[in-house]
Formats: sequence, C-alpha cells, structure tokens
Amino acid sequence: MFGFLKKVGDYTRDALGAANYMTQGLAVTFDHLRRRPVTVQYPYEKLIPSERYRGRIHYEFDKCIACEVCVRVCPINLPVVDWVMNKATKKKELRNYSIDFGVCIFCGNCVEYCPTNCLSMTEEYELAAFDRHSLNFDNIALGRLPTSVTTDPAVIPLRELAYLPKGEMDPHTVPDSAPRAGRLPEQVLETLPKAPSSSEAKAASGAAPEA
Amino acid sequence: MVTPSMVTTSTGLDLQASFEATLAGLGVSPGAAHLLWLPLPMVLVLVAAVVGVLVNVWLERKISAAVQQRIGPEYAGALGILQPMADGLKLVFKEDIIPVRADGLLFTLGPVLVLIPVILSWLVVPFGQHLLISNVGIGIFLWISLSSIQPIGLLMSGYASNNKYSLLGGLRAAAQSISYEIPLALAVLAIVMMSNSLSTVDIVAQQTGAGILSWNIWRQPVGFLIFWICALAECERLPFDLPEAEEELVAGYQTEYSGMKFALFYLGSYINLVLSALLVSVLYLGGWGFPIPVEWLAGWLGQPIDAPLVQVITASVGIVMTVLKAYLLVFVAILLRWTTPRVRIDQLLDLGWKFLLPIALVNLLVTAGLKLAFPLAFGG
Repeated sequence: MFGFLKKVGDYTRDALGAANYMTQGLAVTFDHLRRRPVTVQYPYEKLIPSERYRGRIHYEFDKCIACEVCVRVCPINLPVVDWVMNKATKKKELRNYSIDFGVCIFCGNCVEYCPTNCLSMTEEYELAAFDRHSLNFDNIALGRLPTSVTTDPAVIPLRELAYLPKGEMDPHTVPDSAPRAGRLPEQVLETLPKAPSSSEAKAASGAAPEA
Repeated sequence: MVTPSMVTTSTGLDLQASFEATLAGLGVSPGAAHLLWLPLPMVLVLVAAVVGVLVNVWLERKISAAVQQRIGPEYAGALGILQPMADGLKLVFKEDIIPVRADGLLFTLGPVLVLIPVILSWLVVPFGQHLLISNVGIGIFLWISLSSIQPIGLLMSGYASNNKYSLLGGLRAAAQSISYEIPLALAVLAIVMMSNSLSTVDIVAQQTGAGILSWNIWRQPVGFLIFWICALAECERLPFDLPEAEEELVAGYQTEYSGMKFALFYLGSYINLVLSALLVSVLYLGGWGFPIPVEWLAGWLGQPIDAPLVQVITASVGIVMTVLKAYLLVFVAILLRWTTPRVRIDQLLDLGWKFLLPIALVNLLVTAGLKLAFPLAFGG
C-alpha cells in the first residue's frame, strides 16, 4: 500500500520536475525574444577585420631577394619563386613569383620568416572565383592592395565583438567614437610606475644600482 | 434573474438567417436562398484557413529568428510578410515528381488524405454563436474521428514512396497519432462531461457565464495540459516531430515529395496547428468569450444587447478573441519548438501510453466525481 503511494509520489515529483525544467527553458527562449538581432547583413554590412587578420597575402616584387625562405617554411612549399642566376653580376634575378590561394592555408609562416618583409597579410577574405586556377595569383595580382571595408561607400563597416565597449553586444548601436573595451599595450605602459620602481626592481635582483 | 449564458444562447448575430431573409425579401424562394448561402461560409473558411497558414508561416519564421537573435525574412514585402506567398508560389511552379518505383496512385492519394480531414475539421470551429459552418450535434467528436484519418494518409504516402526513410517516417507518424489520440479523446471527454454536449457551440456557451473565471482551464488544468501535449504530438510539432526528424530520416514520409504534393503536406501540417490551437481555445479558453462577458459590458454602458450595432461589435470581438487565443497558443508552440529537444520514439510512446493515458483516465474519474459532488460548478 505504502509502496504504491511512494511510487505515485515519486512519479508526481518527476513530472513536476520535468515541468519545472520546461518552464525554465521557456523562460530562456522567451527572454531572447527581447534581445536585438546581432545579424551582420553581409553584402551591405561587413565586420572590420582585426589587426592580426590573416587574409590574402600581399607581395612586393621589388623587395624580394629570391631567397626562397618562404618556400622552405611553407607547410606545402607553395610559393613558386622563378629566378635565374645572372652570371655577369653573380646575383639572382627574380622573374616571377606566385602563390596559389586555392591551396594556401593562410598560416602566415612565409610572412613571419621573410627576411626583407616583402610579404604581408591583408584583410581581404573574399576570394570566391568561378575557376580555381584564377586563384593562382602571380606577382602582379599579389601586389594589388585590397579595398578596405571602412573606405568602401557601399558597405557599412561594423566593429567585431572584441572591439566594442564593455557590455555592448550589438555593433549597430555603438557610435564610431566609443572606445573599445580594455586598453592597448601602450596605454597599459603609461599607467605603470615610473623610473624609481624599475631601479628598485634592479636592486632587488642584485644588479648594481644606477645613479 | 436571467443568467448571461441564457442571453447568449438566445441572441447573437445570425448571418445565415439575415442573409436568407434578405434574399427572400428580394423574391427568391427559401430553398434557392439557402442554396446561395451554402458555398459562402465554406469558401470563407477555406480562405481563412489558408490565410491563417500564411500568417502562421510568417510568425514561425519571424519568432524563430527573434529567439535566435536573427532577423528572419525581410525583403519580401514589409518585414518579409510576403515570404510565405513566395514560398507557396515556388512550390506551385516546381516540377511534380513521382519516383519510378513508387506506387503512383497511393503516392498521389497520400497528401490528399492528409489535407482533406484537416480542412473538413474546420466545420465545427465556432467563431461566434452562429459563426460556424455547421453546428453538428457530435461536433468535437467529428474532429476526433476526422483526425484519425490522417495517419492512414501518412502511412500511405510513406509506404508508397518506396523509400526506407519514408516508410520509417510513415510508420512513426501512424504510431504517434494512434498513441496520442486516446489521451486526447479522454481529455475531451472530461470537457464533454462537464458541458453535457459534444457540440462546440454548447461547450463554449457553457464557459461564457462569468468571463475569464468560467473558462474550462480553471476546472480542467490537467486536461488542458494533456490536450495541448497531445495536440502538439498530433501536429507533429517539436518536441514530437519524429516522423520528419531530418537528422535521422531526411524528411520522413515527405522525403520523395516535391512541388504541389509537398505543398499539401506543408499546408496540412500548418492548418492542423492552427486548428488545434483554435480547438484548445474553444475547449479550454472560452472560445469567442471576452475575459469580461460582453453582456456585462453592454449592461454597464447601458446598451441593449439585441441592438444591431452591438451585435456586430459582439460578433467582431468574438472572432478577434478566438483568433487571438489561438495565435497565443501558436506562439507558445513556436517557442516550445526552440526550447525542447526532440524525444526518442520509445520516450514518445512511453509518454503517451504510460504517462498521459493514466493521467487522462484519472482526470476523467476526478471530473466525474466532482460533477457528482459539485453539480453547480462542474455542470451537473
């Protein structure tokens, strides 16, 4: 008798618990109704890529010394450096340079290791093409500068989440002048204690104190 | 003292009577006048059902978008209001494909068998005292019996598609509909017991006494929940959309369908959702009744309830209230869709047979007991 009553009690508790969880879930979805959409309506609005964005690679032909470091550090030896040795001057003469962006994984190793900084990463990411061979950029195509999202009159530039003021979720409502959350490294440096503390630190580490 | 419910049963806007009287006044014989009247409400309800579906699809997409912090359809008409029209138009112009190894006749008959009972069920949905196509005596029972034709169509289309996923979807749909029909019918039975009638008009009239306080939801809270869960299962709405679970079954019984035949399924499922919401509002939320009885309002304003203008206003308020309650429930259904995960087939059948069925039976018993104990409050 009591066993049966206990069963009924457990059953009821389970049912009420389920109803409780359901209500909590409904409260969550209902709460989301009042939040504004965070949609970036792509062809008309675009996010501003971050400073470290690794987009299509830019290449300056005149700076290149044809050392082929980019080829060696590339995971798949992708850059094609077409050079000949000029016997008279005993120098490499660069004829062509190309990277196939249909194969490139945008790891940025070539940019990292280029001794003359002739390679750099841009913020261009719209690389769709009808033919994959047209993604094989030669030194002319690699030398073109991308159009910036902020200067394109047909596009509304929007800041990414990390570049918005603290607590803001929707880039649409934030004015351009509002500063981003947190501080830049140089701003952090300004707030650090000045010279005395640095000499103290040196004294503590055992170095000879300066005048 | 005359109770307000007595007043509503004796008065109210009767469009049919006035239409036929007008035609008789113009010299048309009563039979011809009746014949002229007949197609009008049918066309009206068909149009209302289709417009209801369009609104429903738009709401579904917009509310889904809002819940997920998206925008949803925006460019087809203001706020994307023409998007369902565009969807429908696209389906009309699409090629009608019957798979080579499928059974052509049954394949075509399936969606028809799914849609027709759903539209037929609109016969018994009242929007006012006389604002329904037919006040058949077996009203709500007619709906229950019509809704059990649907699984035949689903099974038929699933089997005739000659596709594993379709067959599984069809079988699941049939199993689901059959299991949830029983608690649904038992929940309705408790209501019928209280109102002593199967007619939808009588069921609403019994709830109009004291406005919001006399709605059945207060007397049948458990029945309301059972009915709502079962209605969602019958409509194959999430969390009970196993027959067309896209992650497992592609699109269930709809897999092989395209063009207009697919549109019939689509239309059927949405009309069914609106219909279920309407019936919940009729059975539990006082149908066309305003939260404060309109008779009281008219009395406070010093207006006679029989005056033509007051009757027109009352009827309009009734229609608005019915539709408002129904769409409130549709909103809840859409919100539930994004809240709850899909149940497994064994959990679904467990819920139907081991949980809802006993509770519905207990609810029925308790209602019967309460009816005997308090005949005044529980319709003795």
